[in-house]
Amino acid sequence: MNKDLVDFALKCANEKQVDYAEIRAHNEKSDDLTMKNGVVDAYVSAVDAGFGVRVLAEGGIGFASSNKWTHSEAKSVVDIAYRLARAAKRTDKIVFAKEKSVQTSWKAVEKEKIEDVSAERRIATFEGLDRELISQGVDVPGRMFRFGTTLTEKYFVNTEGSVISSFVPKLGAYAFITVAEGGKSEQAYKQFGYSGGWEALDEWKITEQMIDEAKMLQGVIKEATAVRPGKMDLVCGSEVTGIAAHESCGHPMEADRILGREMSQAGMSFVYPNGPFWIGAKVGSSIVNVIDDPTLKCSYGYYEYDDEGVKARPRILFREGFINEFLQNRESASKMKTRSNGSSRSTGYDREAIVRMANTFVQPGNYDEEEIFEQVNHGVYMKSFTEWNIDDKRFNQRYVGREAYLIEKGELKGRIARPVIETTTPTFWGAVDAVSKKLEFDAATCGKGDPQQGIPVYTGGPIMRLRGVYIK
Amino acid sequence: MSKFMEKTEDVVRRCKTLGADEAIARTVNSCNHQVRFSNNQIDTSLVWNSYVTDVVLSWNKRVVATQIANFQNTDQILKHLFKLAKVSQENPMYGGFATGRFNYRKSTGDGSLVNLENPAEYVFEAIDAAKDEAGPETNAGGIFLASASNVYQISSEGPEGEDVRSSVELSIRAFTEKEASGHGVECSSKLKGFEPRRAGRKAGQIAKHAKNPKPGEEGKYDVVFDPLFVGSLLGMWGSMASAYSVMVQLSIFVDNLGKKVASEMVTMRDVPAPYSMSERVFDDEGVPTRENVIIENGVLKTYLHNTSTAKIFKTTTTGNAGIVAPGPWNIEMDAGAMSKEELFKQVRHGLYLTNTWYTRFQNYKSGDFSTIPRDGIFQIENGEIKQSLKDIRLSDNALRMLNNITGISRERQHVHWWAEADPPSLSPFILMKDVQITTSR
Repeated sequence: MNKDLVDFALKCANEKQVDYAEIRAHNEKSDDLTMKNGVVDAYVSAVDAGFGVRVLAEGGIGFASSNKWTHSEAKSVVDIAYRLARAAKRTDKIVFAKEKSVQTSWKAVEKEKIEDVSAERRIATFEGLDRELISQGVDVPGRMFRFGTTLTEKYFVNTEGSVISSFVPKLGAYAFITVAEGGKSEQAYKQFGYSGGWEALDEWKITEQMIDEAKMLQGVIKEATAVRPGKMDLVCGSEVTGIAAHESCGHPMEADRILGREMSQAGMSFVYPNGPFWIGAKVGSSIVNVIDDPTLKCSYGYYEYDDEGVKARPRILFREGFINEFLQNRESASKMKTRSNGSSRSTGYDREAIVRMANTFVQPGNYDEEEIFEQVNHGVYMKSFTEWNIDDKRFNQRYVGREAYLIEKGELKGRIARPVIETTTPTFWGAVDAVSKKLEFDAATCGKGDPQQGIPVYTGGPIMRLRGVYIK
Repeated sequence: MSKFMEKTEDVVRRCKTLGADEAIARTVNSCNHQVRFSNNQIDTSLVWNSYVTDVVLSWNKRVVATQIANFQNTDQILKHLFKLAKVSQENPMYGGFATGRFNYRKSTGDGSLVNLENPAEYVFEAIDAAKDEAGPETNAGGIFLASASNVYQISSEGPEGEDVRSSVELSIRAFTEKEASGHGVECSSKLKGFEPRRAGRKAGQIAKHAKNPKPGEEGKYDVVFDPLFVGSLLGMWGSMASAYSVMVQLSIFVDNLGKKVASEMVTMRDVPAPYSMSERVFDDEGVPTRENVIIENGVLKTYLHNTSTAKIFKTTTTGNAGIVAPGPWNIEMDAGAMSKEELFKQVRHGLYLTNTWYTRFQNYKSGDFSTIPRDGIFQIENGEIKQSLKDIRLSDNALRMLNNITGISRERQHVHWWAEADPPSLSPFILMKDVQITTSR
């Protein structure tokens, strides 16, 4: 990466009447393969490098980017960003919350370097997965795997004196399968993600997991029955706990959303100034603690400094059932008269950094998993989910079970076909009465921004029991 | 030949010299200008420019691709790519790139979109229009985005051409209360005739009527869908017409070619027409794009193909390549016989849904899914829009819904919105019977 050119761009910005400016350069080397029904459709290998300039001037923000690494282009991009900022003509001027300048470098550690893994080995890994998957006596007529690695080098400088270099290698995989049996079908997808090296593949155990999924789906087609609708207990597997933490806690705690900055796309929040829910409002039972933590090493959402150069730290979003803290960047923090908590992320040099989650999870509790089931007289264990969604104020959500079982007198009985919980955020979190000790994570790509910035995150949690919720 | 074409041709020549069986290079010089706004003020203005050449080559039925941004390393990048092809796996389903020379229709793209003097004006026009409709306290947010690309594409198999691709859109959501909003969009391939006020007016009108919403109730309803909502539905049905979606079972149209999949009044096409934000004169293999009738009078007529998927299905390409996956460009539902007003009059007790988001499937093959209506949700009584509603979910089946369409309006609108109503479409109002609505408990 030509850091001198980035420094030159900063110099150009410093020569203007800016309140603040930053240059964020990315150099991203990516390798992606797509495999459909056992055949590699294409292998794509590319390098994308460029720089983005964000300027705060006269209370407005301008952003411009380019992938042309020349001095004249750098100057021109700074000029454009400056012009755009001044053109905003806002009546209430934007200011950024104060931050200390930082000079540092950081990186995610690879035990086995991704660059040392040949294309042949990558392809062979997924060929092997496909071969194993179709030799289990289960009919899997639809199999689509996507696997990619990215090596992202970033260089961030701003007019306050921050200079931050970073290197983060990431691996991501997506598996989608269709299982057929007796003219019926069931489908499942799973996502895997990791920040680090090729050792991720050992941790994922993707072949074993997808074989288990295929067999499970066959079992659902052959054995599962519909649940009789009504109020009952629900035990959420960690995958379901995690998606609920992400959707109905993480998203509504995003300060930019609360302030309306995403109002026409991702929407707003049930949390808003002078509304019934704000910091200190009760939204769950006293054992509900939800955390967003970017600093988890090896996690898909791992980072040490955010894309505004702010040191990352864990954020406790729900503490003992109460709203505790929002996710903030420097712009939202200033509007709320607080400090950024390092939540600003961008997917590329050509996208503005906005408020994002990193790794959002329910904090483990004191229960053994056996205890959680033992105390259920009648209920459903929703181990994993398929269809899910939530409204744009993050209040009305729905999760449909992919792998699910009936619980009778503390015992797991037969499989249940696609049980549904459709409920509100306070009803969901208010019903939680037990949380297990074991914390597990799943990888996901969180969508937000316009243009869409799909960003890597973990969702996670332990097994969690909800009392007396309506299941259909 | 322009210098960009020469550079693009040089990439193809180098691929062939390295030993590639086939190669396609596409140079795209693009400029995008976006204004994001909320709370009636501009949050940020963004410009992103890029200049890249996408390269795809095949060798012994192995397909590899890359992107060149730094042209000083072109040789090194292409050598690496060819090395990858040699170690990649053979794809027996690969059917080659399209062959032949084609005469393309003249591109009508609007290159002037890269030189907009003050795009913020469009934003304020839309905000003012929303306020005119719904009152001065109206709170609006959204985006304005203008994009223009010069595309230079050359295939070793013959096709070569230049295209100007342009789009301009304004999307605005207006709030009159915390839970009362309306959404409007204005979309075009060109600046001429682009009227942001139209989007603002629509958002304001819906937001005004959406005040004081009451929770909706579960049940089956006759529903009038606004063109913006229909845009989401057409995006869902259209992407399922891709042969790739069919092959990986991500489609309700698996094994349904030639069969009735929709109400007889439904004819659905893919048309990258001059008005459309996704107008293009050739696809990613260089095949001229064209109109394809996907569903005609309720019968599934074709999947959308590139050369490889067409060979697998023993047909010819439809000009919808994607090298890996073909897809729709711009979906049109044919206009019906009724006016919008006549459509509403058909409904004794039903709903009018203006927009939706967060569409997710339990099973793409069977079509079971749900989506969440947002912005104006209205009860219809005896053909009249009555009470504003909130907090409902549409939980139904994509195939059943196609078959339950009972009315289509004459009026149609070109719509596109974020990732929810995508790709762009020409959408009418539609009336559908027995739509399943669920709610939280």
